[in-house]
Amino acid sequence: MKKHVNKRNLRTSIGLHTLLTVLSVLWMLPVFWLLLSSFRKEPGAYTPYLWPKGFTFDNYTRLFTDTRLFNFPRWFMNTLFVAICCCVLTTILTLMVAYVYSRLRFKSRKAIMNISLILGMFPGFMSMIAIYHFMKAIGLDQTLLALILVYSGGAALNYYIAKGFFDTIPKALDEAATLDGASKNTIFWRIILPNSKPIVVNTAINAFIAPWVDFIFVSVIMKDNYNNYTVAKGLYTMVDKANIYHYYTVFCAGSVIVAIPIVLLFIRLQKYYVAGVTGGATKG
Amino acid sequence: MKKLLSIVLALVMCCAACTAMAENITLKVWEGQDDQELLKELCEAYAALHPENTYTFQYGVVGTADASTRYLEDPAAAADVFVYPDDQLIRLVQADALYEVTRNHDAIVAANSVGSVNAATYKDTLYGYPMTSDNGYFLFYDKSVLTEEDVKTLDGILAAAEKAGKQFNFDIANGWYLASFFIGNGCTITLDDNGNQVCDFNNEKGLEAAKAVAALCAHPAFLPGDQNILTGTIGESVCAGVCGTWVADAIKERLGDNYAAVKLPTFTVNGEQVQMGSFGGCKILGVNTQSAYPVEAMNLAEFLTSEASQLRRFEVRGYGPSNINAANNEAIASDPALAALAAQSNYAITQLIIGDFWTPATAFGNALIAEPNADLQPLLDQWVAQTVGQ
Amino acid sequence: MKQLLIGMRQGDIWVKGSCLVMGLGCIKRKQIIKGFLYLAAEALFFLFFFGFGWKYLQHFLTLGENAQKRIWNESLQIYQRVPGDNSMLILLFSVLTVAVTVLFVYLWLLNLKSAVYVYRLEKEEKHIPSFSEDLRSLLDERFHVTLLSVPMTTLLLFTVLPIIFMILIAFTNFDANHQPPGNLFTWTGLQNVTDIFLGNATKTHTFTGILAWTMVWAVFATFTNYIFGMLLAIIINHKLVRLKKMWRTWFMIPIAIPQFVSLLLVSRALEPTGAINVALMELGWIETPLPFLTDVTLSRIVVIVVNMWIGIPYTMMTFSGVLMNVPEELYESAAIDGAGPVRKFVNITLPYMIFVTAPATITTFVGNINNFNVIYLLTAGGPASLDYYQAGKTDLLVTWLYKLTVDQHDYALASTIGIFIFMIVSVCSLTVYNRTGAVKKEDMFQ
Repeated sequence: MKKHVNKRNLRTSIGLHTLLTVLSVLWMLPVFWLLLSSFRKEPGAYTPYLWPKGFTFDNYTRLFTDTRLFNFPRWFMNTLFVAICCCVLTTILTLMVAYVYSRLRFKSRKAIMNISLILGMFPGFMSMIAIYHFMKAIGLDQTLLALILVYSGGAALNYYIAKGFFDTIPKALDEAATLDGASKNTIFWRIILPNSKPIVVNTAINAFIAPWVDFIFVSVIMKDNYNNYTVAKGLYTMVDKANIYHYYTVFCAGSVIVAIPIVLLFIRLQKYYVAGVTGGATKG
Repeated sequence: MKKLLSIVLALVMCCAACTAMAENITLKVWEGQDDQELLKELCEAYAALHPENTYTFQYGVVGTADASTRYLEDPAAAADVFVYPDDQLIRLVQADALYEVTRNHDAIVAANSVGSVNAATYKDTLYGYPMTSDNGYFLFYDKSVLTEEDVKTLDGILAAAEKAGKQFNFDIANGWYLASFFIGNGCTITLDDNGNQVCDFNNEKGLEAAKAVAALCAHPAFLPGDQNILTGTIGESVCAGVCGTWVADAIKERLGDNYAAVKLPTFTVNGEQVQMGSFGGCKILGVNTQSAYPVEAMNLAEFLTSEASQLRRFEVRGYGPSNINAANNEAIASDPALAALAAQSNYAITQLIIGDFWTPATAFGNALIAEPNADLQPLLDQWVAQTVGQ
Repeated sequence: MKQLLIGMRQGDIWVKGSCLVMGLGCIKRKQIIKGFLYLAAEALFFLFFFGFGWKYLQHFLTLGENAQKRIWNESLQIYQRVPGDNSMLILLFSVLTVAVTVLFVYLWLLNLKSAVYVYRLEKEEKHIPSFSEDLRSLLDERFHVTLLSVPMTTLLLFTVLPIIFMILIAFTNFDANHQPPGNLFTWTGLQNVTDIFLGNATKTHTFTGILAWTMVWAVFATFTNYIFGMLLAIIINHKLVRLKKMWRTWFMIPIAIPQFVSLLLVSRALEPTGAINVALMELGWIETPLPFLTDVTLSRIVVIVVNMWIGIPYTMMTFSGVLMNVPEELYESAAIDGAGPVRKFVNITLPYMIFVTAPATITTFVGNINNFNVIYLLTAGGPASLDYYQAGKTDLLVTWLYKLTVDQHDYALASTIGIFIFMIVSVCSLTVYNRTGAVKKEDMFQ
């Protein structure tokens, strides 16, 4: 009997692992393709054959040495700076708002929550020009600070998941603290936040990624000031009609470099990310 | 003390005199990312030529494709002098973004090719300084597969390609290229006096042109796809394709000694050969109407588009000049791509299109690729109706 | 409000004076700092209003009358420009000025309220809160004010005002022919709305067609990801699977690559001469290339499938989290009932997962309605269609809007459509949000 079970387990196990291998190959194919292209020796966006004829590391070195036209290192540092600031600012703002909706009761709370939800559905690019002119009116146009504000400005709209998480932290904790004379401020910083590591990490990761991938807002805010470009915008200019043949493989190399910090973050913070997405409801 | 005072006084007077003459002039210039180095070089050359003023140049990266978009988002922050492709001219004029060329007008008209001046002209007014006239398209081919005789006709290319087991690439799903059949067969796409789009691609001649397109699509040696397909396959599975100077380097690299370029071929209409037309594209330097130093900006624009500057631009970037003298320069006249473009320019028209043309053109092209035997007249009617906005 | 009026009538000269000079009432009752803050706010407002806002607000009704002019300058030999009004800036900064004014009126009412309040406190010989006590209350019973102030300010500036601006544009004729600074645009009332729904059959057809596809897309995009993500998570979390963390990481790597890169790659691979067709042909599975991007049905399937490639890793992560945390007691009680693994899954795991992920699913659904990236970067809305106005068969409302604004510069039309989308989406999602158990029972678990 036991042997039978073992045999069945073995078969299931092999089946599952094969399936997973096939799926992950499917998933990794485009990534592999990107890697191949980034090491491809022949330039051009398209080759009629799949396997490159020659390999080179030049595309990567060109990114960091050939900076006369495409200043990738500078754009990388810009993006890193913006991403870190956004990460901090967005996380704080989002959690503040989520805490308010979860714990504090005041009139018009429900109304504000609903309005925020609706506002979040508005296509962002429709507001770009207006935002640009506001930034200009306060003298912030074409600065990295403006970019940080734009990316973090909508933080109040993304409270939904964090609020769900806070909702599951037992209110008894708050009440006990209140009895000990703690103010709401103390409760937020000393009790809620330390118990919310997953959601903090989750919000932070999402905020950190945004500046690496946006190329629309940054065009409008930075306009002609290419010293303040982010990598996404910089990479995007590499695949212009006029540049694409000579820069396509470099573009791929740049994308790989952009992906690396994000992948590392995912690997490192996987368990928090998982717990964060599902809200605190999973905390059993 | 007295001495000191007199020195100070002298200095002050000097300065006063200077400020009357030597102004501190800040000019912002826009060009694409890969043109920045040359732009700096030329601007500094301009400053060196005019020591009576102090110039501060600001360089912004705005490629031609984005020029009008970036401009209209905030005209006041836009460059004093910026490069735009001729197809954005009308939009910019509608927004009153461009200074008319009034200073030295006749000399500029005389110095540049007719096509490029026309491209910078709207309703009889010249709105910019022609800088290149290489933004059009023509035929690239592989000498080892096609002969000079083959490339004269579309049928010749297709037949020779098929025989050699190769293909001919043409971006049918792009209105810019697609239009060459219609223009060649005598259809018009233009603007009327009120600035409304006029297009007659659905008349009899248009139908004939569309039949030629359908025949091309049905041919086994035909390969649709954009410039990336062309640059990736020419010399291997593809022996010829239609594109512009911006891919010339890439194609030269791939074909080596077999590299050749020529004007577009003729195509067959009712058994007769008809020359394919095209849009002749130019890049133009415009002077922003919001500029604080319009006259200085105009002088700079004129300098940046002078014969010498255009020659330099060819040397460094390979751009084809609009300046007649520069174009006759030996090095330029012997450049196959630019020579082909110059030959094609006799059949090129200025692009007078205000927007609604492109999306339906792509739809039309895709429809023919998918089904070359489709009923053409209704498709043409829909395309034209969309283009003229009904 | 009535209370305030009564209080005002009863109040002394300091209270009444607060109407004109804000903060007077507070200053008199020893709330010096608070009083001066009110005063400073008033000064700032007037500075803003007369120094900046009025310049634009006065033209609000006409959106400017003087277009940019050309004057021939004989000595310079140029047509000099005399700057005119800029309708767009007038509209934009009028909105800002009105918003600031509304805020100021609110502040002014608060000022009166506190003047009356402290007047009463003094009369009743009660303790008047000091500034530090006020501050402390902002960290405690009025903590929500403190926490919300910054996010709400940015929200107002970067989201609310631009939206109001955009909504107003729908009632103007702001398009390529009325483009500042050279031209003015002006109010045209409901003309854009009647244009879309009555005047132009193609536009009406495009709107309804795209709306229908947007809904189909959102449903499929959400539920394919949901179901397959759940299955993947179940497989990875199966007790027989080794190296769980590694598998998860494999699936996460593709989404770490910026979408504009990965989707560009995929889109190129799907072309007739692209890698996928080449590979399929070399394998001998197909004879001619499949028109992935030009055939209507095929391209619609393609966007949904590619979206799975991007979306499943996220749902997989979500469900992994849920699966690892199904409360043990649920299983224990089931074990007592003698339930097998299948029944355990159907009766416990599944309902639990659906319950827990409901809010995330709704968020995803709404996100898919506005999923700009996948569509725009993959097909750019194509295949373009001759019976649509400037749109293709995979265009979502949001990508169509983008094309209308960025390519066509038809801001007025885009705004009008934007308002309709906005209404549809918000009604749908508000209904759903407020009906979800998680929202209704938000206090239940606490």
